[in-house]
Amino acid sequence: MKNNPGGNRVLLIKLWNCLRGYVIIKIVGPYGERLINQAALHGLYLWDVKRVDKDALLAKISVRGFFELRPLARKARCRIFIVQRRGLFFHLYRMRRRQAFILGALLFIAVMYILSSIVWSVQVNTQDDTLKLSILKDLEEWGLKPGVFKHNIDKKYYLDKILLNYKNIAWAELEIRGARVIIDLVNKEMPPRIEDDTPCNIVASKDGVIEEVIPFRGEAVVKPGDTVSKGDVLISGSVTLAGRDNTEDRMLVRARGIVKARVWYRKSVEVPLVEFRKSYTGRVKKAYRLKLGNHEIDIQWGDLKFPAYVEENLPERHILPPGLGNVRFNVVLYREIKEERRFLGVEGAAEEARKKLSEELRDLPEDLQVVQKKMEFTLNPDKQSVIGTLMLEVIEDIGVEQKID
Amino acid sequence: MKRTNQEGLKARIFDALELPKDIVLDLPRITVTGKVGAFIENHKGILEYSSDRVCINTKLGPLVIKGQDLIIKSVVADEIVVEGKIRSLEFEE
Repeated sequence: MKNNPGGNRVLLIKLWNCLRGYVIIKIVGPYGERLINQAALHGLYLWDVKRVDKDALLAKISVRGFFELRPLARKARCRIFIVQRRGLFFHLYRMRRRQAFILGALLFIAVMYILSSIVWSVQVNTQDDTLKLSILKDLEEWGLKPGVFKHNIDKKYYLDKILLNYKNIAWAELEIRGARVIIDLVNKEMPPRIEDDTPCNIVASKDGVIEEVIPFRGEAVVKPGDTVSKGDVLISGSVTLAGRDNTEDRMLVRARGIVKARVWYRKSVEVPLVEFRKSYTGRVKKAYRLKLGNHEIDIQWGDLKFPAYVEENLPERHILPPGLGNVRFNVVLYREIKEERRFLGVEGAAEEARKKLSEELRDLPEDLQVVQKKMEFTLNPDKQSVIGTLMLEVIEDIGVEQKID
Repeated sequence: MKRTNQEGLKARIFDALELPKDIVLDLPRITVTGKVGAFIENHKGILEYSSDRVCINTKLGPLVIKGQDLIIKSVVADEIVVEGKIRSLEFEE
């Protein structure tokens, strides 16, 4: 009787009774029907009523219901007997005698718990294999290795240790996922350090016209007014030593000095005359995405009513362990956006371009000296936009060290 | 006699208003599933029960379900589920 309206409720009651325990009773008496009516009127739920004899009925009732039925039975002049006790409660009750079984079940749970609170593997996520191996080795030394209890892991302690001992790691994160410890690392690119006594040249880092050369050590190769291009030697680390007897000797030193040069920069931005601006309205709809292999199932309530929206995928999660199948799950947020069109006009666009270029200017390093700056705005008729060009003439130190081979 | 007149008036009013009769007139609602089950709402108690005959009291008088191996699957205050091989349902006058 699945399609009747009360069916679901009845099923639920039955399930509940199976858990709580129910009894099969025998109702003996000429007016068994009367007792059933009385029980129904008092809100007691009877089910599977079966006639076994002329004046005997079998019925099922919950344990609590049975005790409430007894006074009613007296009134209806019936006698009731318990034929059988059923349900989880009685099963457990009977189980009390089977102590070894219970012990086994408890042991099983305990072992499962212990095994799942042990770290089974330590994983370091980084591209650098040697770094990975060395970190794994160090972690083992510091006490983080397969076999330790995961509840005792002090994340901060290990992260601090890693960051202190490895100077070339910029960021580290330790995550305990199930029985795995996952360490994510981000490497820092360290500039190659040149030791103080290695012979070096000072070379140009960019094209320019030399303004000033101040060699501290080494020989200046260029003079003010010279045009240099990137990579040219400015101060040589190879010093000529004039000997007493007119012989020339060369010595390699580490050149140092300041080489200031006039350098030109050009930067352009394009601003369209009609501006599209997207802004979030703040309305968000959530959907759940289930991925079974290559199939995707979206689960969401109601339709997406936003005329324009951006889809944002939150990180995926594997529901099952990777060995059991590729089932992933993630939450998708649809954020409603509003698109606005604004006609800037030529002046407006030029103003916008000027603003953007000014921002660029602000980002320049402080130690350079701006000699001249010029902004130009041209209209690009095909693309309906204004192109702003910034030309900068600055004086800056263009020297960088380069090792002499 | 007066009572039946009243009832008739009531029925006519509810007819005009198109209200569901089983609710306003307190009539039983019977759902029969093939030959295997009957679901009776708005009953007034079980009058008689045996494996080949179930008699259920309703406002219209006793409803007799005849068949074989009939069992009362569940009973609550306002609904009864009867299952088994049903042969006939009949209102006894």
